[in-house]
Amino acid sequence: MFIDTLLIGISSGAIYSLMALSLVLVWRSTRIVNFAQSGQAVFSTYIGYEIAVRAHDYWISLPLAIIFGALLGSLVDLLFMRPLLRRVKDGPIAEIAPVIATLGLLGLLQSLLGLIWGNAFLQYASPLSAKGFTFGSHTVPFSPQNLFIVLASCAVLVIFGFIFKYTNLGLALRAASFQPEIAQLAGVRVSRVRNIGWAFAGATGALAGAVITPTATLSPNSLDLLFVSGFIAAVIGGLDSLVGAVVGGLVLGIGFSFILQYIAGSVTFLVGFIILMVVLLIRPRGIFGRDAGRHA
Amino acid sequence: MLVQSRTKRRKLVIGLVAAATLLVNALPAHAMNLYKQDGVTSSTITLGITSPLTGAAAPGYNKVPYAMQAYFNYVNDNGGVNGRKIKLIIKDDAYNPVLAKSVTNDLVLQNKVLAIVGSLGTAENEATTRFINDHRIPRLFVNTGYSGFADASKYPTTYTVLPSYVMEAKVMGQYLQENFAGKSLAIIYQDDDFGADALKGFAIAGTKFVAKIPYASGSQADPTVVGKWISGLAQAKPDVTIMFGVSSATAAALGGAYKAGFKTQWLLGSVGGDGTTIATVAGPTALGLLYGAIGASFLPAPSDSTDPYVAQFQAINAQYNAGVAFDNNVLQGMNTAMLTVEALRAAGSKLTRASLLKAIAKSGSTFASAGFAPLGYSATSHVGYNGYWFGTYGPTGAIKPVGGSYTLYTTDSGSGAVVKTVSKRPALPTKGLPNN
Amino acid sequence: MRSRRFSPRQSALLLFALGIALLAASRVVDELRTYQGAQVAVYVIAIASIVLLTGYSGQISLGHGAIMALGGYGAALSFTLWNFPFALAILFGTLVGSVGGFILGVAAARLSGPYLAGSTLALAVGLPTLADQFHILGGEQGLNFDIGDPPHWMQKLGGDNFTQYKWFFWITTSFALVVIWAITNLLHSSYGRNWKAGRNNAVAAGLAGINISQGKILAFTVSSGLASLSGALFGLLLGLVTPTAFPLSLSFAIVTGAVLAGVGSLTGSILGGVVLVAIPELSGALATHLGGSQKMTANLPGLLMSSLLIVVVLFMPHGVRIGKFGRQQQANK
Repeated sequence: MFIDTLLIGISSGAIYSLMALSLVLVWRSTRIVNFAQSGQAVFSTYIGYEIAVRAHDYWISLPLAIIFGALLGSLVDLLFMRPLLRRVKDGPIAEIAPVIATLGLLGLLQSLLGLIWGNAFLQYASPLSAKGFTFGSHTVPFSPQNLFIVLASCAVLVIFGFIFKYTNLGLALRAASFQPEIAQLAGVRVSRVRNIGWAFAGATGALAGAVITPTATLSPNSLDLLFVSGFIAAVIGGLDSLVGAVVGGLVLGIGFSFILQYIAGSVTFLVGFIILMVVLLIRPRGIFGRDAGRHA
Repeated sequence: MLVQSRTKRRKLVIGLVAAATLLVNALPAHAMNLYKQDGVTSSTITLGITSPLTGAAAPGYNKVPYAMQAYFNYVNDNGGVNGRKIKLIIKDDAYNPVLAKSVTNDLVLQNKVLAIVGSLGTAENEATTRFINDHRIPRLFVNTGYSGFADASKYPTTYTVLPSYVMEAKVMGQYLQENFAGKSLAIIYQDDDFGADALKGFAIAGTKFVAKIPYASGSQADPTVVGKWISGLAQAKPDVTIMFGVSSATAAALGGAYKAGFKTQWLLGSVGGDGTTIATVAGPTALGLLYGAIGASFLPAPSDSTDPYVAQFQAINAQYNAGVAFDNNVLQGMNTAMLTVEALRAAGSKLTRASLLKAIAKSGSTFASAGFAPLGYSATSHVGYNGYWFGTYGPTGAIKPVGGSYTLYTTDSGSGAVVKTVSKRPALPTKGLPNN
Repeated sequence: MRSRRFSPRQSALLLFALGIALLAASRVVDELRTYQGAQVAVYVIAIASIVLLTGYSGQISLGHGAIMALGGYGAALSFTLWNFPFALAILFGTLVGSVGGFILGVAAARLSGPYLAGSTLALAVGLPTLADQFHILGGEQGLNFDIGDPPHWMQKLGGDNFTQYKWFFWITTSFALVVIWAITNLLHSSYGRNWKAGRNNAVAAGLAGINISQGKILAFTVSSGLASLSGALFGLLLGLVTPTAFPLSLSFAIVTGAVLAGVGSLTGSILGGVVLVAIPELSGALATHLGGSQKMTANLPGLLMSSLLIVVVLFMPHGVRIGKFGRQQQANK
């Protein structure tokens, strides 16, 4: 039972990590929390679903959904966030306007999805079996699809780790995030680099949606709770740390799984909220975070 | 200057208050008769329904209102009811009591419907009861088996049609005793009056469980919640597991059991046993998972084209509801619509809310319908059907009666005995058009 | 506010007059509009709670739906379990929410915008489902909060057909008017001035000896009190409280209403309340007009609401009513 619960936790933790990663990528590039991230992710997943229906192939739809996610992320930055941030630079609502704007975008994306595909639950099936691996007579609640989810998030972490550490793009991304003025002077095209951060975030969110949806159903609101889990995970990890996002996701996934198994499903998010508060108040940097910019 | 303008303002304000106060008492109170006659003109009858069209419980149930509409359109094309055409206004409540309340307000106050027909859900109907009672709105053939709604003193304008969940549980208890004596039993149930009613029935039947797993309505959409049901079952190792929830929950349970390699004999409640819905929610492979499960129903099997009612409804569905697969939801919707037409006819050409209610009390028990059990309507009873037959699911998800013929188990919502009978019902009116 | 146009006593009289006028209106308008009027009143209080929090104290909450649930459950519980008279039950609900808001406010005062927004969002998701966990809270089915028929003297005063909905309308609008009056006065007090000072320039306010953190906690507490009052009234209007009555979308809706109202304007909250009630109806009519499919009927309200929100944030970031707040911003520069 303990092992089973742990396995469920790792699998859902991997998904939380992906959502947390996409939030961290936007935070690092623009210093805002993108409340529309789950809306962008579910939009990309619908695109993946539509392609899978037409092409009868999940493996074609998956990369296309991710590419769409990247494009959508980039567009949201170009057409939406930039005009907003230009208009609302300071004043009492400077901190709040991006929150409101991304919430508006979330609602807009979701109602568009409802208008196009309806609100019914759709099946976005993966060819990987949903049946758990069997050891002897015991079937564990961990299927090839779950394994794929975990591997996919590991791959994302490795890819981003490589990009950030070893490439010029990564250096530019880091510079633009921590010292935008100096980076600009050093010849980094900060706004272009930020846009790439948005695209990476969109792609990661799309991947999360496209791998989790085959284990559940697809509807305009189907990733709402994932956003909340992803946010908690990102904050636990420190909101600007990629490794932190992954660790935060796993910690939260395993924690939620044990709460569900041994206490009750209805208290998970309240416990999540309490964890969030404790982390924010005791160790505001998160486990891996660098700066302490979350205090008012 | 300042002082002067302040005094002026104060005078103005006081004047306003005085004027307003006078106004209130001078105004004639708007003549508003709570029990006025809405919803009927010389050429139309307007009815309303609330049902989940979106949300976790929507799959399957979202077909019911449209099946009703299809049947009404069929009747309208054949002359309507006493020359009036029936218009059905469909409102989505997302299986949410709060929304149910607000859309019912709209139906009655804005759309001015004559009656609410086939409104779905226990908590949803509970939430609108106060308003329905206050306005004396007929609420006919509610799509819930909560036994409480048959209480004519608490719900004077409500008529139930489904056998109550208490009856269903008692009947299941009897069936289990006959066929699975000595086996260990578990149950998954929705944690509200729907499930509480079932537990009450099982308690009367003396059925004991090794595991009872409640779930919050809507939580079946969360795979981790479903994982917990199954791990709970796997620990208790029941021979037979009863699924007493909506179809999307049944689909989730079957899918979860398959994923975890958990095997049991499933016994599905009538609410959550529709094959087509289960396939919609869990994918076509789920039909294979249904294979061998036992189910309970009071209507004929939707796949049984030899049944005259089913054959007639299938024909109407093909013409008026094109492209929609004929399943238990469509069957039930059309059956409810047929009962509604009979009630409207019985109320005569001077149709009012009061005459409609009176007509069902007087002659409702003679209405022709697809249900095998008799309808219990009378001046004192608002109980609809009172019994079930049992069937097994084949490899394609179609249910067939155990032993080949429909054996009915009837009972009441109290402590009365469970009786096994052979079904009797009125013959199908010609072309499925009521002639009462 | 640039100038005080009315003295508290005058504004009290004016609001009283407005109240009488509204109640007079309830005698002539039909029952549907009466019910919608009551809904507007409930939203106005909820939006005022956000206006107070965001517009005056610079904090944000996406979890006020959960605070409303505290108020609703507090009221319904005291009503059904301890047989409180309904007015007392509503006040009890308000007290419960205020205490919850105080605890939350202590934590919130230390968090900046996006962190506070995300945390309160988690609360909005996590708190209402807690009711499933405790039998006393009625689980998924919720608690009954049917206050019954209006008292006889009311029926006499109100006319022949003084329905339950009219009674609700009287109760909710009275509360809304009293709340607006009380909050206006509060904002004109030294508390209100300190909040705004802390919001506009925390450092300067700190140097001037204003305890910003204390002010924020107080603002969060008062705001939660208002939200829970509206939650209690919301439960009264529905006749019951359930976990599903306080979904995430409710938290979003009241924030939307506050933004449309212009986050700095209390009177704007009335406009916000009207918009929240009107949009579903308008979009319903629009969907029918466009020959609406079920998809359109279900999604048009959300589409209109979020588009409106985006337009306001992009083009009128300081609210539809540029009025006082916007100009003051200009003056500050």
